[in-house]
Amino acid sequence: MTEPHMTVPPVKPRGIGARLSRAEDQKLLTGHGEYVADVRLPGELHMAVARSTMPHARIVSIDTDAARVATGVHAVWTAADVTPVCAGMEGALAVEGCVPTVMPILADGVARYVGEAIAVAVADTRAAAEDACDLVLVEYDPLPAVTDPIAALAGGPRANDTLEDNVALRGGKTYGDVEAAFARADRVVEAVYQTGRLAPAPIECRGCVARHSWSTGELKLWTSTQVPHLVGYLVSLYLGFPEHLVEVLTPDTGGGFGLKAHVYPEELLVCLLARELDQPVKWVEDRREQLLASIHAHEQIVRIAYALDADARIIAQRVEALGDGGAYHSVPWSMAVEPWCTAVMNAHGVYDIPEFEYTYEAAATNKSPIGAYRGVGYMANSLVHEALADEAARELGLDPFEFRRRNVVESFPYSNPQSITYEEGSWAESIDELERLVDHAAFRERQTRLREQGRYVGLGISIFVESSGESTETSQAFGLADTYYDTATVRMEPQGKVTVTTGLTTQGQGNRITMAQVASDALGVPVEDITVRCGESTKYAYGSGTIGSRAAVVAGGAVLRSANVIATKLKRVASTMLEASELDIVLDGGKAMVAGMPSRFVELGDVATAIYFDSSFRTDGFEPELEVTMNYDPARPIFSNGAHAFIVEVDVETGLVHVEHAFAVEDCGTMINPAVVEGQIRGGMTQGLGCALFEELIYDESGQILTTTFADYLLPSMDVVPRFSFRHIETPSSHSPAGIKGMGESGLIASPGAMLNAVNDALSPLSVTLRRLPLTPERILAALDSAKRSVAE
Amino acid sequence: LSVPLDAVAVEITVNGIVYRRTVDARTTLADFVRDELLLTGTKLGCEHGVCGACTVLVDSASARSCITLAAQVEGRSVTTVEGLSNAREMNALQASFREHHGLQCGFCTAGFLVTATELLDAGGPIDEELIRNRLSGNLCRCTGYETIVDSVAAVAGVRKDG
Repeated sequence: MTEPHMTVPPVKPRGIGARLSRAEDQKLLTGHGEYVADVRLPGELHMAVARSTMPHARIVSIDTDAARVATGVHAVWTAADVTPVCAGMEGALAVEGCVPTVMPILADGVARYVGEAIAVAVADTRAAAEDACDLVLVEYDPLPAVTDPIAALAGGPRANDTLEDNVALRGGKTYGDVEAAFARADRVVEAVYQTGRLAPAPIECRGCVARHSWSTGELKLWTSTQVPHLVGYLVSLYLGFPEHLVEVLTPDTGGGFGLKAHVYPEELLVCLLARELDQPVKWVEDRREQLLASIHAHEQIVRIAYALDADARIIAQRVEALGDGGAYHSVPWSMAVEPWCTAVMNAHGVYDIPEFEYTYEAAATNKSPIGAYRGVGYMANSLVHEALADEAARELGLDPFEFRRRNVVESFPYSNPQSITYEEGSWAESIDELERLVDHAAFRERQTRLREQGRYVGLGISIFVESSGESTETSQAFGLADTYYDTATVRMEPQGKVTVTTGLTTQGQGNRITMAQVASDALGVPVEDITVRCGESTKYAYGSGTIGSRAAVVAGGAVLRSANVIATKLKRVASTMLEASELDIVLDGGKAMVAGMPSRFVELGDVATAIYFDSSFRTDGFEPELEVTMNYDPARPIFSNGAHAFIVEVDVETGLVHVEHAFAVEDCGTMINPAVVEGQIRGGMTQGLGCALFEELIYDESGQILTTTFADYLLPSMDVVPRFSFRHIETPSSHSPAGIKGMGESGLIASPGAMLNAVNDALSPLSVTLRRLPLTPERILAALDSAKRSVAE
Repeated sequence: LSVPLDAVAVEITVNGIVYRRTVDARTTLADFVRDELLLTGTKLGCEHGVCGACTVLVDSASARSCITLAAQVEGRSVTTVEGLSNAREMNALQASFREHHGLQCGFCTAGFLVTATELLDAGGPIDEELIRNRLSGNLCRCTGYETIVDSVAAVAGVRKDG
C-alpha cells in the first residue's frame, strides 16, 4: 500500500544532473572545518580509556587508587560506577536466529576481547588522562580465548558466557527443490571464499564531547556519527536523560563508511561523566584504539555452489555464509550484518536463478565486534557470485562476459523466488557496456602477447545490483523488522533565500550540494541561494542514519515533498501578483513567471516578502507559513546496478599486484551530481582494492591483535591506486524522487570480486586459483609455489 | 610510571607570527599548533606518523607534526594549512582542489595541500608519476586519489595524460 509519505511529486531536472562544486569546500580547504576534536568548550575535561590487554579473562580486581590521586585527574570509573546506571546496550538484528547480546559500557567482571574498555580516567588534559589510565592496575584470571569461528560454532569453550553457546546467529531458507536441481545438473561448480577482517578506517577517528547543565538539565553531545538521532535516543533510553533535553550535534565529520553508524560505550560515558563532574568531558579516539576496539568488518567464510545445465545456465544455487562475529553484537547492526546480508539480500546476485537455498551463521569469538562497513555483507555476496562465475566460465571455456550474459536477468520487472520485485535495471546492458569500456578484444590480444614474454596481466569483472535507499519497505520485503523515519525541513526566508535541513548527516559525500540541487529544481531558486544543513542537530529534522546508500534517495524525497508545498504557496501568491492563473505560474531562476511570457514575472524574494509581511495575502484560507517539514520513506525497494573491472599485472617473482586501471559502469538512475557519483565510486573501489590486496586485521591464535597501526594495517596509497574510467547509464526509478537511486556503497560491493577475478585471470595459465583475500604477495607466491609443485609431481 | 612535567620555553614562528610559549617537553608540534595556538586546521589521523594528515612545513620542508616535538622546532618557521593562502581567499592549489573535487570529508586535505605545496614550491619538472610518488605518504580514504592528482597536476601545468 502506497501511503502519502511514500509518494514524491514530479520535478523537472534542471540543476539535477549538473557537476557542481560544494559550498563547504572553501571552509575545509583553508583549515576552517570544525570536526569534533576542534570543538572547544570552556572548562572541558578529557577522557581516556584503559582497555583490556587480555582476549578473554575474569577481572579479579581493578586498582584505581594511584590513578585517582594523580595530578590533574578528576575521576576514574570502572564498571562499578557505570553498571548500576546502565548494564549495557542490547544488540541484535531483527532476523530469524539472531541471539541478542548485551555489550557492557565498561567490562563488568569479564573482559571478552583485547581493547574492550575496562576503566576510564578524566583529567585536565588528554595526556594526564592517558597517564592515569596507565596507573590503573587490572588483575586478570585468563579464560580460554575463542578465536576460530568454525571451531567455535561446533562447540567448546564459550567466547561470551552470557550466550548458551557460540552460535550468535543461525538461520537459513530454501526456495524451490534445490536438491533435485543439483541432482539433475549437467555440472556443479563449488568453492569456498574467505574475506579478511577489515577496518573501515575513516581518516578522522571517532570522538565525542558532552556538556550537561544541572541548572536546566540540558545535555548536549557533539559526536562524530552517521546516526545522531539513534545516539540521542539510546542516550535517553539507557541513561535516563529526558529526551527533550538531549541534543546531539554532528560537526564536520571526517569519513564514516559505517564505522560511525553505531552507538558506542564512549558516547554514553562522556554524558554520564559530564553530568557527574559538572564540566564538559571530551574523548577523542586514537588510531590504535580504533583498530583495536571500534567495530571490525567484512570477515567471512562463504561456500557457494552453482548447479549448471548443459547451456551453462545456473539452475540452482547454494550459499553458506559464516561470520566471525566478535564478542558482542555491535549496536545496532550486529554481526548479522555480514552473513545475513550475504545470504539473504540479492541472494542470487544479478543472475536469474530460479531455485536456491542459503544458510547464515555467525560465531561469537573473543575479538572486537563485527559491525557495518560500506557494502556490509553485500560485498561478500558479490565476491562469491562473481568469483564463482569466473571459475565456472574458465571450466567451461567461456569468456566471462558470455557466461554472465547467459545468466543475467534481462527482463524487468523481475520477481525473484523471494517475491522481491526488481522494477527496472540495466543489468545486461551494463555487461555489454563494460565489455566496450575495457576494450575486451584488445585486452585479450595484449594478454596473449605478454604471456609469451612471461608477463601476466589479467582482467577481472564484477557485475552488481545494489539495494539502495534503505527503507521500511525494503527492510520488510527481506524479512527484517526495521522501520525508518526521516524528515526534511525546507524554509524560504523573507527575501527568498532557502534553508534546507535534513535529518541525515554527511561525512564527505556532498549531500549539501546534492540536496541543494534537488531543492533548487523544486523551488526555482538558484543553488547558491540555498543553504543545506545535514543532521547537524537532532533538534531539527529527524533521520534514521546516513547508511545503506539511502541519503540521496530518502533526504531527496523529504526535501522534494517539503519544497513542493512551498512551491505551491509561492505560485498561488505570485498568481495574484501577476494576475494570472496559478496553473500558468512557473518557478525558475529565482523568479515566478507566467508560462510562455518571460517578461511577466515577479522575483521570488518579493513573493516571499509578501507572504511574510503583507497581510493582504492572508485571505481565503491561505496558510502563510513558508516552512514545511515532511517525511519520506520509499514505497518499494530501489535497486541500482552496474559493473566494475580492474586490469592488473601480477609479478610472479615477487607476488606483487600492479593495478593498471579501474573501470566502472554505474546506473544509479537519475544522477543528481555526476562529480559526486564518480567520487563515491572511486573512493569505494579504492577501499575494494585495499580489501582485495592489502588490508587485514590479524589476530594470533591466543586472541592478541597484531595490527594496531597504519604500518601494519595497510590502506591503499596514491602510488598503488590506478586511474578510473566511467560510463553512466541512467535507468530512473519509477517512484523515487526524480528517479534517483542510491549508490554510496557499490564501489566496495563489487570491486573486491573484480580484483580477485583479475588476479586469477592473470595467473590462469599457471593453474592458480586464489580464493582468500587479501591477495598478499605471500599468499600469491605460496599458491604459485604449490601449483608448481603439483605440476612437478 | 608518572611522567615528570618538564617545562620548555620555545619561540616558534607559525604562519609568519612569532609565538613564545612554555610547553611540556612532550608536547608535539601538532598539539602545539592545535591546542596552544588554536590553529585546528592541522588534523591528527593516526598519531604515529603514517597517514600524513598532520603534515606541516618546517622551514619549507614537510614534517609530520604528530611525531615532531614542539621543542624540536625551536627558532624555526612553521607553515600550517591556515598559512597557505592569503587572508580570506583560497590560493590556486586550494581552488584547484575545489574545482576537481579533490576532497570529500576534508580531514586528510590539509596534509595533502601542505605536501603538494612543498612539491610545487621546489620548482622542478612535475609529472603524474612524481605527484603520485611524493604524495603517496598521505592517506585519503574517500577520494581514490585520482581527483587529488588532477588538482595538483592542474596547478603544476601537467597535461592530463602527460
